[in-house]
Amino acid sequence: MDPATSRPAVVIDNGTGYTKMGFAGNVEPCFIVPTVVAVNDSFVNQSRAASTKSNNWLAQYSAGVMADLDFCIGEEALSRSKSNTTYNLSYPIKRGQVDNWDAMERFWQQCIFNYLRCDPEDHYFLLTESPLTAPESREYTGEIMFETFNVPGLYIAVQPVLALAAGYTTSKCEMTGVVVDVGDGATHVVPVAEGYVIGSSIKSIPVSGRDVTLFIQQLMRERGEHVPPEDSFEVARKVKEAYCYTCSDIVKEYNKHDKEPAKYIKQWRGIKPKTGAPYSCDIGYERFLGPEVFFNPEIYSSDFTTPLPDVIDKCIQSAPIDTRRALYKNIVLSGGSTMFKDFNRRLQRDLKKIVDARLLSSDARLGGEVRAQPVEVNVVSHPIQRYAVWFGGSVLASTPEFFAACHTKAEYEECGASICRTNPVFKGMY
Amino acid sequence: MILLQSPSKYLLQILTTRLENLDKGVELDSHWIEFNDVRYHVQASMKNPNLLFLSVSLPPPPPETVSFGGLPPGAIEAIKAAYGVVAQILDPPRDGFSLTLKLNLSKLPPDEEHKHGVLTKIASVREVVLGAPLRVFLKQLASRTVASDIDKVVALVHRPMESFFLIPQVEKVTVVFPMRFKDSIDILLATSFLKEFVDARRTAGLNNAPPCSWSPSPPPELKGAPPEALSSNAGFVSFVIFPRHVEGRKLDRTVWSLSTFHAYVSYHVKCSEGFMHTRMRRRVESLIQALDSAKPEYEKAVKATQNRSFKRLSLKDGRSSLKSFS
Repeated sequence: MDPATSRPAVVIDNGTGYTKMGFAGNVEPCFIVPTVVAVNDSFVNQSRAASTKSNNWLAQYSAGVMADLDFCIGEEALSRSKSNTTYNLSYPIKRGQVDNWDAMERFWQQCIFNYLRCDPEDHYFLLTESPLTAPESREYTGEIMFETFNVPGLYIAVQPVLALAAGYTTSKCEMTGVVVDVGDGATHVVPVAEGYVIGSSIKSIPVSGRDVTLFIQQLMRERGEHVPPEDSFEVARKVKEAYCYTCSDIVKEYNKHDKEPAKYIKQWRGIKPKTGAPYSCDIGYERFLGPEVFFNPEIYSSDFTTPLPDVIDKCIQSAPIDTRRALYKNIVLSGGSTMFKDFNRRLQRDLKKIVDARLLSSDARLGGEVRAQPVEVNVVSHPIQRYAVWFGGSVLASTPEFFAACHTKAEYEECGASICRTNPVFKGMY
Repeated sequence: MILLQSPSKYLLQILTTRLENLDKGVELDSHWIEFNDVRYHVQASMKNPNLLFLSVSLPPPPPETVSFGGLPPGAIEAIKAAYGVVAQILDPPRDGFSLTLKLNLSKLPPDEEHKHGVLTKIASVREVVLGAPLRVFLKQLASRTVASDIDKVVALVHRPMESFFLIPQVEKVTVVFPMRFKDSIDILLATSFLKEFVDARRTAGLNNAPPCSWSPSPPPELKGAPPEALSSNAGFVSFVIFPRHVEGRKLDRTVWSLSTFHAYVSYHVKCSEGFMHTRMRRRVESLIQALDSAKPEYEKAVKATQNRSFKRLSLKDGRSSLKSFS
């Protein structure tokens, strides 16, 4: 038997904002790091320019051997690029899709060797992808994992299915539900029936965690808070993570803030990166206006104005009719940007309103002869929401069936990268 | 990152976050595996936030090495010397592990810098335990008190069921690594990497580094070793360590570098594969660009409409795959 199956699989969930990585069977990922790579490109450009005149090529050659390892990821990359201008930041994932494969490969290399410090030949791997990933990019992932890292087996899971699987242990075995995945770069509403994704009903909206940050940044700038401009995005992100909450009614919330500013207005203290001088600024309405972007998108952009609850409702209404009640009953939140306080209660209330209105109108149309049974709307939230996808992966990868569902190295060598092309989770519904 | 670091990043993170949040200590139960099959398990409870149980299991030793209950000789003494009162060895260790330490965080030294030093030392538990026998020999070399039976070959475990060899002499210690890789491409890359590595040693700046050599067949010093331990598919690398390489603070680094030499080579093999892929990708892109610019206008328009990226699945495919997902 393959000795790798006796070791826990490595689970890496690459998100647009943060990457969660760890070993299957654990409750928490080992590391949550920003998905960013800082590369020292000075060598690459230099060698191209100087390749024609081949004086002291040996020196460059030996410098080059080092320079291609001269990069770092995560927090380290952010701090390195701040202090040193020769490093360029590159974000390998944009809007949930891998954008730069070179950076992605380097990112994985550091994850495996520097952070988890495991030998990739010893472990099966579980990676995740967004539901809208193209088959080509799955093939590419497979190619990198099998060719560069020689992994013995690979499973590429779909994030929403894993988010559902995460709820699986906390209550009962329920693999039907709508996953509302609000990440840093992408927001998807994905209906899943009995473990299969209903591909035709996936809804994706252009409002995500990063937009909340941008909106907060904009609000603070317009009010004239003294935040150094080069730092303002980071400050906005930290404000979002620490102070934002969901309110039940904007007008009431404005009144509350105006009546008792001492209670609601928070202070932010920081140090200017250039001069080192301390500064402070107020955080006011943006505390509840930030998350409000999901419920009233018109306050942020004029292009997209459908609130999140409407999108969820439309998504369920487009799903097969026999699954709809079950879908309403199990709406699962996942992703860091659903962590705002009371986000689930607000979502449930708004959705319930839409559903009840529809029931009332259909009752009125039928003239009271038949009454519809009330629809149960339930938005589930659990404490591990931030890394629910990772946790689901950890649960899935610790079952013995996991190793049988993986693509193995032998299969890859037999058929090539096309084995990763299709995902069984989608196949059932075509 | 060029060299692998000795403290385990994750273990260090666990220890520091635990120490920062001692008052709201949470349940902790986590296991992980590092390269060369070193397994860790950390457990802590809410009741006693100062106590932390750290279990480590080492790679299974091959028959030619000496070990006591899964631990290499000298490991217990090394732990006691390194950690003092902070760690207590539990006997017997947890099921499936060769060593369990009971760490008492309240016994850490009070000043910050010292404390961090001890935590880092705990995170490098693998270096302390696995490198213990090597350390003993190198220390003898530094003080020139090597036991008299010259030409004795000592085998030390560094990978599951694999060992490297030590030939201790009065003035020098020769270390020989049989290099083995699983994948055929890895074997080729590793062989050329090692040849380059030996060549690089000859450049002017590295005169003080330990002399090293590579040969495809086992060096004559290893005559006494069992033949199955001498199989290799990427040759043999030997280093000659002189007393000047193990003086004072250099000792720790030498022990770590030697005991993880195989992991170092395999990391660099993977890195160079990644680098080659980057280059190949760039080349393909430039070729595609050249092809595209050579195309006449009307062909481009046709291509754009026919570009179908999804493979149609027949009904049969769909049905057979229903079973495959668990």
